[in-house]
Amino acid sequence: MEGKILGSSSEYVQSNISRYFSDPQYYFQVNDHYVRNKLKVVLFPFLHRGHWMRITEPVGGRLSYKPPIYDINAPDLYIPFMAFGTYVVLAGLSLGLNGKFSPEALNWLFVKGLLGWFMQVALLKMIFLSLGSGEAPLLDIVAYAGYTFTGVCFAVLGKILPGYSYYILMPCSCLCMGIFLVKTMKRVLFAEVRSFDASRHYYLLLLIGLVQFPFFAWLGNVSVNWFL
Amino acid sequence: MTKEFGVPPVVFPSGGNPTVAVGGNTQQRRVPTAPFQPPRPSNSGIPFMSFEVGSAAATTSGPIGGGTGPIGGVANFDDEEPLLDELGIHPDQIWKKTKSILNPFRANPTFHKDSDLSGPIFLYLSFCLFQLLAGKIQFGVILGWIVVSSIFLYVVFNMLAGRHGNLDLHTCTSVIGYCLLPVVILSAISLFVPQNGALRSGIAGVFVIWATRACTNLMVAVADGGEEHRGLIAYACFLIYTLFSLLVVF
Repeated sequence: MEGKILGSSSEYVQSNISRYFSDPQYYFQVNDHYVRNKLKVVLFPFLHRGHWMRITEPVGGRLSYKPPIYDINAPDLYIPFMAFGTYVVLAGLSLGLNGKFSPEALNWLFVKGLLGWFMQVALLKMIFLSLGSGEAPLLDIVAYAGYTFTGVCFAVLGKILPGYSYYILMPCSCLCMGIFLVKTMKRVLFAEVRSFDASRHYYLLLLIGLVQFPFFAWLGNVSVNWFL
Repeated sequence: MTKEFGVPPVVFPSGGNPTVAVGGNTQQRRVPTAPFQPPRPSNSGIPFMSFEVGSAAATTSGPIGGGTGPIGGVANFDDEEPLLDELGIHPDQIWKKTKSILNPFRANPTFHKDSDLSGPIFLYLSFCLFQLLAGKIQFGVILGWIVVSSIFLYVVFNMLAGRHGNLDLHTCTSVIGYCLLPVVILSAISLFVPQNGALRSGIAGVFVIWATRACTNLMVAVADGGEEHRGLIAYACFLIYTLFSLLVVF
């Protein structure tokens, strides 16, 4: 599949790309059952009874993580992509119900969502770098950042429903996404980072959780302006 | 620096015996244009439209006279390929493919195995026409969204299917384009439905579900590897067609 997407299949190009990108095919080995359960874990992380560790298996002499079909804690890219698409569609719906729909507005929402995703990735990557280990694969971080879009979808759903449901749904989903991200990042940090500096770890994790609030407020308030 | 080439007189042979009346003409014409003689299309397959009648031998007119030879050689208007065939547009195939989408409950993938883009272009133009009748000029928007959504579905399908995925972009765009038929019908109907109402959204919902079913069934039937991911692909198609219905409803 990499050969198909990249066109020419020179080994050098492929090996360089795979150093940074780590085989996107791994993140799409999902099935129905995984998607349903993962959505439950993402949206209601406090109900998750099991542990948050990823299962490793020895493959060719190195330890590698099991693909998402076998492991509920593995990140995947299907849910983030679909959550992003659902966010764009729902935001368009809410714009239309308020009479402000136009195709350019939808294109702008798409760009805004991409920008938000990129900023989440940058935040997580910077936290990794500041703790001394930048070795988590980039697509892992992209996947974790993309999971927040499921919460944003719920917030926008609250905007569509009449009444004050937005002001109830938004903080709840924000809290849930914050808890999910903190728990996932805690596991990832303990696995990847060598030196364990407890207070710094916890402050940065708290930062991740707190940043979700302005992020949700920015994306959830569906409009065509830069801020707000 | 002017090139000198003589324009040979156009002679249509009567009865297909070129050497009879034209010997004098070719002799006449050959002298001034010798240095810039266009290459003889002596069954070499180079499509060169020349008005030389019976150029080198009588044999060239034989197969071309049959009507299925390459372009070039004999400039016989009756023996040219029909325009639509040359362009690769086959209206009966388009009609059969479009009719196969009309049944929302059963997919008939036999016609869709060989993909073509002329049907989708026709459906795209009629969609834009109905939107124009509703007062929205959205030609570029719809085309852009079709391109982006077919790339999206191509990536998602091939990634999900893994090693066995053999969907190519042309087939993906063709299937998405043909399954726009319900959205086209929706835009035609919504010209007559009052603007702010639940009825509009309800009808849109029905057509979107029709389009999603058709698209999923065709996708899974036309390319390998999609069987066990039906629900996942159906959700992606649902997102795409909801996006198009937003254009119609609002």
